[in-house]
Amino acid sequence: MIQLFNISKSFGTHKALDDISLKMHKGDYVFITGPSGAGKSTLLKIIFGTAKPTSGQIIIDGINLSRISTQKMDHLRRKIGFVFQDFKLINSRTVFQNVALALEVTGERSSMIRKRTNQALKAVGLSGREQAFPLELSGGEQQRVAIARALINEPMLLIADEPTGNLDPDITKEIMVLFRGINLKGTTLVIATHNPELLKDTGQRVVTLEKGRVVDEGSG
Amino acid sequence: MNITLWTYYFKTAFSNILKNRLIHLISIGTITISIILLASFMLLSTNINNWARKLGESLSMSVYLKDGIDEKSKKDIESAIKQIKGAEIKGFITKEEAMISLKKGLGDQAGLLEGLDDIALPGSFEIIFKNGSNGAVDPKLIKASLEKIKGVDEVQYSQQWIERFQGVMGMLRVAGYAMGALLSIAVLFITGNTIKLTIYTRKEEIEIYKLVGATDWFVKVPFLIEGAIQCLAGGIAALLLLFLAYAAITPKTIDIMNLPAINLSFLSIGDMGFIILLSLLLGFVGGFISIGRFFRSI
Repeated sequence: MIQLFNISKSFGTHKALDDISLKMHKGDYVFITGPSGAGKSTLLKIIFGTAKPTSGQIIIDGINLSRISTQKMDHLRRKIGFVFQDFKLINSRTVFQNVALALEVTGERSSMIRKRTNQALKAVGLSGREQAFPLELSGGEQQRVAIARALINEPMLLIADEPTGNLDPDITKEIMVLFRGINLKGTTLVIATHNPELLKDTGQRVVTLEKGRVVDEGSG
Repeated sequence: MNITLWTYYFKTAFSNILKNRLIHLISIGTITISIILLASFMLLSTNINNWARKLGESLSMSVYLKDGIDEKSKKDIESAIKQIKGAEIKGFITKEEAMISLKKGLGDQAGLLEGLDDIALPGSFEIIFKNGSNGAVDPKLIKASLEKIKGVDEVQYSQQWIERFQGVMGMLRVAGYAMGALLSIAVLFITGNTIKLTIYTRKEEIEIYKLVGATDWFVKVPFLIEGAIQCLAGGIAALLLLFLAYAAITPKTIDIMNLPAINLSFLSIGDMGFIILLSLLLGFVGGFISIGRFFRSI
């Protein structure tokens, strides 16, 4: 599903990632952890295609990202959901419009957009909040909107960068339950976190980065 | 063609215009002024061209006689004119009639001639040639032969005006093209900058669009439509205002001296279509340049 071969990424003289090779299979649930500045976010951006490695190759679902056109990358991105720590919601749009956006870009029919948006909002427990604006919601609710948007295209892969970084422990737990449910339905999950509490007793694969290198691989 | 996508593009473009209505209003106003200037020039040029064409349709000639000419010489000149093929004497203008006509032609400024009653205006035979503009008559040749006759001071013909006029029209045309090019650049600049402003107010939104898999064109098209709508509105407003100004001018005929009257007419459907199409094109191109720059910068 995801294959990274000797990935390195430099910003000037600073090496953010140094010779990373990893393999993730369909349906895997992988945590990327490490201290701040370890290269977690850079690694996720490279997997998502918003950053290019300085050297090395990355293959997702059989497609080599270094040989893909911009347009094909846009289309591939529709099969990958991304959840950000700062939610990346459009504040001038309602919850419904924010979630529907991921389908609008595909040119889907309006009736289908309506149906699937409602389903996605129901799946994250936000039915009845369709017409609210992001700033009227709590942090946990905003993150649920972002998750609904990431899920609406039924992605093969869901990437989350510090998805609970801005949330309190109770809401963090709710969001992690939501992620577990998504993974059980067959979606591959890659979550970056620096919070060790999140990894405890999950039984999932944990890749630890430090100064841009993989220093440990085990399970939580 | 995906109707859902195009509906989305137009909805987004109109909603962007409404959200940034002040910027767009200012921009439409400026575009309107630029297009009014361009269209006014076209209007002026069209009317002068029509007038010149009218002037050229008939050939007329004035045969000015020397002062103090005797009756016999006058008769000789008259019979020489009558022998010219196609020529018809419209009348003889005496010195006195010439003065009255000059005063009438000067209108309010006739006072300039006060005290100049003994001014030596020559008498003249006024000749017209039927089918004078079809090339059958060579006015230069007739002028030369008439000027050889004793008692003829000078011969002037209407096409001399046109020949002189064509030079002025040529210069006017070059000035028109230059002005049109400059105004088009100004419109491109205004549209491009307005679109750039709206793009930057939505920079974060565009980044989110890209993150959820929007293609570049999905993001670009509403901005192109926005630019086109803006210029189209400017073009239509300019034509409307120009028409109102044209309608407000009461005399539709202007007399200058003793020359044929200028019958004012508004721009033709073709000219108006050209202005609308040019506006649309400038809107697209202006938007296109701004978007291109933005996408290269992200």
